[in-house]
Amino acid sequence: MAIVAQQTKLSKILWPVLAWAVALIIFFPIAYMVMTSFKTDADAVKPELLFTFTPTLENYANMTENYDYWRFASNSIITSVAATLFTLFVAIPCAYAMAFTPSRGTKDILMWMLSTKMLPAAAVLYPMIYMTKAAGLYDTHFLIIMVLSLINLPIVIWMLFTYFKDIPKDIIEAAKMDGVNTWGEVREVLIPLAWGGIASTALLCFIFCWNEAYWTVRLTTTEAATLSKLIEGNRAPEGLFFGRLSAVSTAAVGPIVVLGWFCQKQLVQGLTFGAVK
Amino acid sequence: MANRTVPRLLQTPAVVLLLFWMLVPLSMTLFFSFIRYVLNNLRRPEWTSPSIENWRGFGNYQYVWNQDSFWLAIQNSLIIVCGILFLTVAFGIAIAILINRNFPGRGIVRVMLISPFFVMPAVNAVLWINMLLDPVLGLQGIAVAGINDIISGLREAPLVGGFFSLWPEFSPISFRGAQASSYAVIMMVTWQWTPFAVLIFMTSLQSEDQQQKEAAVLDGASAWNQFRFLTLPHLGRPIAIVVMIQAIFHLSLYAEIEIVSRGSGNKNLPYYIGELVNNNIGAASATGIFAVILANIVAIFLLRMIGKTLME
Amino acid sequence: MGRIVLENVQKTFGEAEVIPPLDLTIEDGEFAVFVGPSGCGKSTLLRLIAGLEEVTSGAIKIDGADVTQVPPSKRGLAMVFQSYALYPHMTVRKNIGFPLRMAKMEQAEIDAKVEQAASVLNLKDYLDRKPGQLSGGQRQRVAIGRAIVREPEAFLFDEPLSNLDAALRVGMRMEISELHNKLNTTMIYVTHDQVEAMTMANKIVVLQAGVIEQVGSPLELYRTPRNRFVAGFIGSPKMNFIDGDAAEKLGGHSVGIRPEHIDVVEGGLWQGRVGVAEHLGSDTFFHVHDTGLAETITVRAIGDVSLRHGDTIGLSPRMDELHRFDAKGLRI
Ligand SMILES: Nc1ncnc2c1ncn2[C@@H]1O[C@H](COP(=O)(O)OP(=O)(O)O)[C@@H](O)[C@H]1O
Ligand SMILES: [Mg+2]
Repeated sequence: MAIVAQQTKLSKILWPVLAWAVALIIFFPIAYMVMTSFKTDADAVKPELLFTFTPTLENYANMTENYDYWRFASNSIITSVAATLFTLFVAIPCAYAMAFTPSRGTKDILMWMLSTKMLPAAAVLYPMIYMTKAAGLYDTHFLIIMVLSLINLPIVIWMLFTYFKDIPKDIIEAAKMDGVNTWGEVREVLIPLAWGGIASTALLCFIFCWNEAYWTVRLTTTEAATLSKLIEGNRAPEGLFFGRLSAVSTAAVGPIVVLGWFCQKQLVQGLTFGAVK
Repeated sequence: MANRTVPRLLQTPAVVLLLFWMLVPLSMTLFFSFIRYVLNNLRRPEWTSPSIENWRGFGNYQYVWNQDSFWLAIQNSLIIVCGILFLTVAFGIAIAILINRNFPGRGIVRVMLISPFFVMPAVNAVLWINMLLDPVLGLQGIAVAGINDIISGLREAPLVGGFFSLWPEFSPISFRGAQASSYAVIMMVTWQWTPFAVLIFMTSLQSEDQQQKEAAVLDGASAWNQFRFLTLPHLGRPIAIVVMIQAIFHLSLYAEIEIVSRGSGNKNLPYYIGELVNNNIGAASATGIFAVILANIVAIFLLRMIGKTLME
Repeated sequence: MGRIVLENVQKTFGEAEVIPPLDLTIEDGEFAVFVGPSGCGKSTLLRLIAGLEEVTSGAIKIDGADVTQVPPSKRGLAMVFQSYALYPHMTVRKNIGFPLRMAKMEQAEIDAKVEQAASVLNLKDYLDRKPGQLSGGQRQRVAIGRAIVREPEAFLFDEPLSNLDAALRVGMRMEISELHNKLNTTMIYVTHDQVEAMTMANKIVVLQAGVIEQVGSPLELYRTPRNRFVAGFIGSPKMNFIDGDAAEKLGGHSVGIRPEHIDVVEGGLWQGRVGVAEHLGSDTFFHVHDTGLAETITVRAIGDVSLRHGDTIGLSPRMDELHRFDAKGLRI
């Protein structure tokens, strides 16, 4: 190939070195955080112990005591899981209908749904506080679940729609000729074919719920407070507590970053609404 | 078959939920923006509950419009968004091209590069402002102190000592207050969103026509010209999409601003609204409507573009 | 049994009338081919028969029973799609057995029928593979297998060969024809390729813009095309058309003559210069210019005639093979 022939020996060595260097620099803050989480608070701020230190699990062991980590974590898990399930429950039938029986208005409905995502949250902050306090929903799991569902619903519908749309119509028609009913069509053909798409959509939705940091901070105090709220509450320049702060941060993002590695590809499709292939 | 009832029924829950989500709070904001409504006012207790009696017309809008802090907040919003956009696109293209070739360990490099995107914004901000940028205890402080140590050591040295004694002592920057807080926000968000740009540009690069490139090589195009005349135009559309999607997200940045400066630094529009909500609901609502208008300007362009590819 | 009758069937998509009302009868056991340029409504007509599209007006009858309102799976028809439409998550065995499973047939019976279909179609060795692991021709056979096991009243094919390469296409053409001979079931086959139509059909239905231009056996269409469109569409290379004064002299508003009905002679009615000469060995095609006619004339000569580019050539059309058309393009 001509392009390969163009590469000089030098660039063959330099290129990977450069790529690795960039990757290491970008990954460094995360690595640094993880590293610090294994240092004692005292060691964490000593420059001479930057890379050489005696690892300790103390910070993780004391996470509950220091930060009440599990209370926030369980709130995060409950709200994110429930919101993801509810979102899928509402979104799957909707995306299915839009993809397989599109009408003239389908495109407009989709665009409108997306436009709700673009509404700045701050603009409706006070009405949300006002209404939820009046209804006694402020700082409840139910409220956070609903809000997380609503803000993710457009993206989830979009992602599912693009997956469903990619299923050849011929296959659905062949199934019709072969005598399936609507339920059979969903169970025998649609779900097996769209399974990968549904799973990665769910994963991405979960990640977005977990990381959400506006409504979860502004609409909770203690009962339904999530990890975002926990971290946000400990934002003070706690130089003396870098070790424990790193541990709780690592515990808050670790699982999600790992989940994220598994849905990189879907991320592109999901966040660009299928406009970049 | 031609029965439209079932599809409609399937779409109804989603549509109703989103309709509620969009209309109810927003119309309340609209209403509040036209009345005098404050949470605490001892002199005028009647203003502390939302009522049509307290109609103020465009008074809140006028009030907000004449506030310097409102314009400052818009300016900061734009500076932050534009800064992030410029940096993420530039870094994104460079890195995407860098890792678009095959080299040993490419898979791991990709995983490392994408990771920041999944870090929750609150952790991102805490991590950067404390552990990386803190002027004393963060890496910045440590690095600056280290450099100063080295320089002061060199001052003692023979020959070059005279030269280095002319150098000033470096002082670390505090990113928690004033203008520097914007830079801190730009830095941390750029770090988080560059992976997103990389991922999208890489996806797009993979669909670039290789034969076209080979033809260009045969035509004698240099590497730079290939980039300039083939790759960059090919990336035009992804760039536009990255810019607009990020604009939507970053116009509503909140957690990062809050954590970095707690209001003592630069505020953007959402943060400004958040502060007004503590007392002056009328003004907060009017500002909110301005924010909606600003977001819509961006949204229209984005929706147009996405709409074109929708039904393909 | 599988006698399919369309009565006054019409189809519109919104404003656009894709199929103006038409009548058509396909007899039991016939191999009917719908042929026409792409976009003329062949697939739509087939899908109307299948029940995948709803007729706007008119009635469809199968063996005398009105099936216009009957859902696709209840019409007793099987369809083979251009894209094969195999279920990618099922093995070949499951794919072929799927319609039977949907019909709630006993598993043992399904297995037996699948085995039988697989042996007819040479698929025995592939039964446990997924469609992704098969070649184009094999996928095509699986799609046919899925149709066969249902023992339908009629088979519907929508351009089933257009995704195959040329050599495979010829082979599959034969296989489908043989299948028809063996099963003797009605088949309706859609294609835009007139060679497929000519080689496979008992009955060809030529469509243009949703209108049936002519129905007949391949040779009927070849010998007595009802109008200029059919004349030009059937036969390869295409029929030559002559207009204007030259045509008037031969007795029509326009006159058609097939390339194989022009003899290369000394002198002759027209003299011209050879443009492109295509030497195929068995035949030679000459594209002849400067004959005094407005059009380039294509001639087919048997064997390898050694005339080259630029040579002068004399042409003599066989007068009894001329097709004369009036001003409306209808056969005189
Ligand atoms: N679902 C549909 N909606 C609107 N127009 C359609 C639809 N299906 C087909 N058409 C139109 O009907 C005409 C005939 O299409 P088709 O039957 O697919 O042609 P072909 O002869 O190539 O198979 C085309 O012009 C096509 O655009
Ligand atoms: Mg067709």
